Amino acid sequence: MADSSRTNKRSSVEGEAQDSKRIKTNGDEKYNPYLAHLNEDNGNYSNSPLDKMHRHNTTALEASRAEDSDLNPWTGRRHSENYFKILKTRRDLPVHKQRQEFLDMYHSTQILVFVGETGSGKTTQIPQYVLYDELPQTHGKLIACTQPRRVAAMSVAQRVANELDVQLGEEVGYSIRFENRTGPKTLLKYMTDGQLLREAMHDPEMSRYSCIILDEAHERTLATDILMALLKEIAQRRSDLKIIVMSATLDAQKFQTYFSLRKEDPPAPLLAVPGRTFPVEIFYTPEPERDYVEAAVRTVLQIHAVEPEGDILLFLTGEEEIEDACRRISLEVDDMVRESDAGPMSIYPLYGTLPPHQQQKIFDKAPEPLKKGGRPGRKCIVATNIAETSLTIDGIVYVVDPGFSKQKIYNPRSRVESLLVSPISKASAQQRAGRAGRTRPGKCFRLYTEKAFKKELIEQTYPEILRSNLSNTILELKKLGIEDLVHFDFMDPPAPETMMRALEELNYLACLDDDGNLTRLGSMASEFPLDPGLAVMLISSPEFYCSNEILSITSLLSVPSIWIRPNNNRKRADEMKAQFAHPDGDHLTLLNAYHAYKGAEQNGEDVKNWCHEHFLSFRHLSSADNVRAQLKRIMEVNEIELISTPFQNKDYYTNIRRALLAGFFMQVAMRESSNSKVYKTVKDDQLVLIHPSTSVTNTYDWVVYNEFVLTTKQYIRTITNIRPEWLLEIAPVYYDVDSFEKGEIKSALVRLNEKVRRRQAMKGGR
Amino acid sequence: MVPPKEDHDDDNNNLDFEDAYDDIPLQHKRPFGAGLHKQRITFVPASDTHLKSVDDAPASKPPTDIADLYLSLVLPTESGGGKQKEDSTPPEEPTQTSAEMPCPICKLPVSDVDREEHEASFAHQVCLPHSHPPSALDRTRMGLNYLATHGWDPDSRKGLGFEQQGIQYPIKAKVKDNKLGLGIEIPKGIPPPKEREKLLDAKQVRKMVAKDKRKAERLHKELFGDNKLEKYLGL
Repeated sequence: MADSSRTNKRSSVEGEAQDSKRIKTNGDEKYNPYLAHLNEDNGNYSNSPLDKMHRHNTTALEASRAEDSDLNPWTGRRHSENYFKILKTRRDLPVHKQRQEFLDMYHSTQILVFVGETGSGKTTQIPQYVLYDELPQTHGKLIACTQPRRVAAMSVAQRVANELDVQLGEEVGYSIRFENRTGPKTLLKYMTDGQLLREAMHDPEMSRYSCIILDEAHERTLATDILMALLKEIAQRRSDLKIIVMSATLDAQKFQTYFSLRKEDPPAPLLAVPGRTFPVEIFYTPEPERDYVEAAVRTVLQIHAVEPEGDILLFLTGEEEIEDACRRISLEVDDMVRESDAGPMSIYPLYGTLPPHQQQKIFDKAPEPLKKGGRPGRKCIVATNIAETSLTIDGIVYVVDPGFSKQKIYNPRSRVESLLVSPISKASAQQRAGRAGRTRPGKCFRLYTEKAFKKELIEQTYPEILRSNLSNTILELKKLGIEDLVHFDFMDPPAPETMMRALEELNYLACLDDDGNLTRLGSMASEFPLDPGLAVMLISSPEFYCSNEILSITSLLSVPSIWIRPNNNRKRADEMKAQFAHPDGDHLTLLNAYHAYKGAEQNGEDVKNWCHEHFLSFRHLSSADNVRAQLKRIMEVNEIELISTPFQNKDYYTNIRRALLAGFFMQVAMRESSNSKVYKTVKDDQLVLIHPSTSVTNTYDWVVYNEFVLTTKQYIRTITNIRPEWLLEIAPVYYDVDSFEKGEIKSALVRLNEKVRRRQAMKGGR
Repeated sequence: MVPPKEDHDDDNNNLDFEDAYDDIPLQHKRPFGAGLHKQRITFVPASDTHLKSVDDAPASKPPTDIADLYLSLVLPTESGGGKQKEDSTPPEEPTQTSAEMPCPICKLPVSDVDREEHEASFAHQVCLPHSHPPSALDRTRMGLNYLATHGWDPDSRKGLGFEQQGIQYPIKAKVKDNKLGLGIEIPKGIPPPKEREKLLDAKQVRKMVAKDKRKAERLHKELFGDNKLEKYLGL
């Protein structure tokens, strides 16, 4: 092969690449393990359609010819009929027309910014184009394509495996947190951005990859932002690593300038592919609306009454609002059908916590007319902003946009991360409008004035890095060996106060020393795909003789809530939950439920049915089980003992409660006064209530909580009763009385110290 | 159910729909959200139709804009030559403007004659180099120490990042606990909508009646209980 000399040079440059399973190519094709299967199946390697193609020197024509051939070049098997059917549709995608242009640019540059609107086919096609150009089987380095969401990574990988006519998990695989479906043959790997970041911790040069594609970079997730900064650095050291940054918005300039590696370099080249979109007419209200939910409902009904056929997409902010709107719309539509011969309408809610089979319903066809020749039916989807970019629903012609969405925001002063309803950005509004033009010209109704659009909305949604608690991120960066966080080249650097808070939190957890260097504990904590608090709790749990139990609790806290509370059966659900309730805390209740679930499993019961009867989510319990197995493996690798206190021992639950504090001593609240229900969080002085979902009936003076929920009121959720003496014992630095501001908590701690001292003196006297 | 009201349904252009809706006799009104679809929401088409969120060329308006606006307000007579003068000192002859040179510090045009006056002006003073008050961050914090050792100065009014281009302060959150639409402004001075009168249950009604009764009795006793009043009136 002509480029084998280049391959040789490359492998000598990074000869120290770690992955021992992968045997680097020596230029001698006979020894290449990636072609072994070809030889078996075919007996003759030279028949492969890829034979005459040369890495980084292929053309679209060559690739098409390889795709058209009877033999699958990746497996050596014959192409199925279905393959050619899919191939035909693939060739219709807008991105296909620019395949040659893409290859030319790809060959000429190291970093490429690629802009294609949703529906251009970029997520599925570009990695395949790269695959046919990189020819990974010749040099053993993979192609990675990152996605912000787990679901996307899985479904796209499946789709691409079908398109290439290979088995998912073989040549094409995916890797997400707690689930890895790749094998030794894998050439193209879809993964979440967070997963690639975790891999980078063990392979700081990303030496397993020859090309990394960052998809949906416009979403600016925390992990994508860090990956961009990291890849920018790596690209300067590794000139053979190619990077493609894919974005769906027109704001590509920022990426281009960011990715000019050196100051004097020109901005990274850009390739834009037009999406398959139709014009969208935009309407505003002449006056601001008093109640955006009601206005939204009325607009939907109005569209149903007067506009021609086409489905409706309504954006609202949260589950409650969406369910409420759905109810109101369906009541009114019933009226309209009865009174004025309107067509039928099916209404589907869509939000993140909806179970997948219900989410799938949005892809159902719109209903048929009620009678022959009657007015056509339509569907109306009431969604959160997950329908903005991540999910594409065909057939949407009308979009109703009230201009709000729930956004995460972090306040480093009170250390509260909360989801708040906030105005969207202009970019977001345009993205929403664009959803109307996917199948034919559409209309977007904005429930605000044009003036408000121009004046009230910010240009771009703030990237996640500016809105999050960074302690996890900082720990990862430290593990990646970044010394100087001040000058680290973030695209949008976080506020200094946010960074300071994260450093201090890690310092209190003993993951960083006072100079900000990673400690052994910190290094170990970063091995776990968990928040630092949870990781530290898990690592120190053997000291409390309950690592098995803490492992279970950690897994249960890492999955969505296992409790199911259907609206029409709340009472029964609460009764069932009370069966598992532990008087001392929700963490222990969780553990009880898990133990009961495992018990039912061991007794050979039908677990699904058992879960249904006990109002527990089978899906989340089994995923907690999976998470537990994964974490257990990491613990074993790090030689963390798995031990339990015997259940008969009276300290069984006490030990667990104490172990919780090892990671969560910064999330403790004290009751304000003996007859109040209001708690005050330690050091942050936030007044909070205990979330009504708790199974604890007693009111305790001191509690440790898992999360802070800010809705109309401030709540703490998942709480467990603790004794304040433990705080002084387990986290003496954090609970150093001198560091507290004057107040009830300080005086309580002073009294406590006094008590402890007296008790010790008495013991000493005896 | 309710027969369609002819007088409402065929009148699509009726803007006062809500009023018309109020005319429906009470017994025909449905309790919840009924007739929502008949209350139209008007829409106006967008003046700018293309779906672009970001301007190709970021509008970099000349900084004189606001000054022009200000001058056009304070000096309405000099509408043409508003730019030439910045001070609200008595207007001088336009011939003098040619001698004006921009001040090296505040870049405002100034003539030699009123230099002293100009240097005392607020606009000039603001442009003079000056120091900012130090940051309020607690200097003993471990996080601050770390950032400081790596070259971030809390008093420099700069953010983090390669060129210290990052944001200075965390993004503020605003809790929205109502359903008010985007861009609506509740004019001040108008009291919030009155809450509907609460319906009382039997127990509360009984209590209230008893309380009223006691009050009436006391009043009655005060007025008619003794004969002081009658005595006073000389009856």
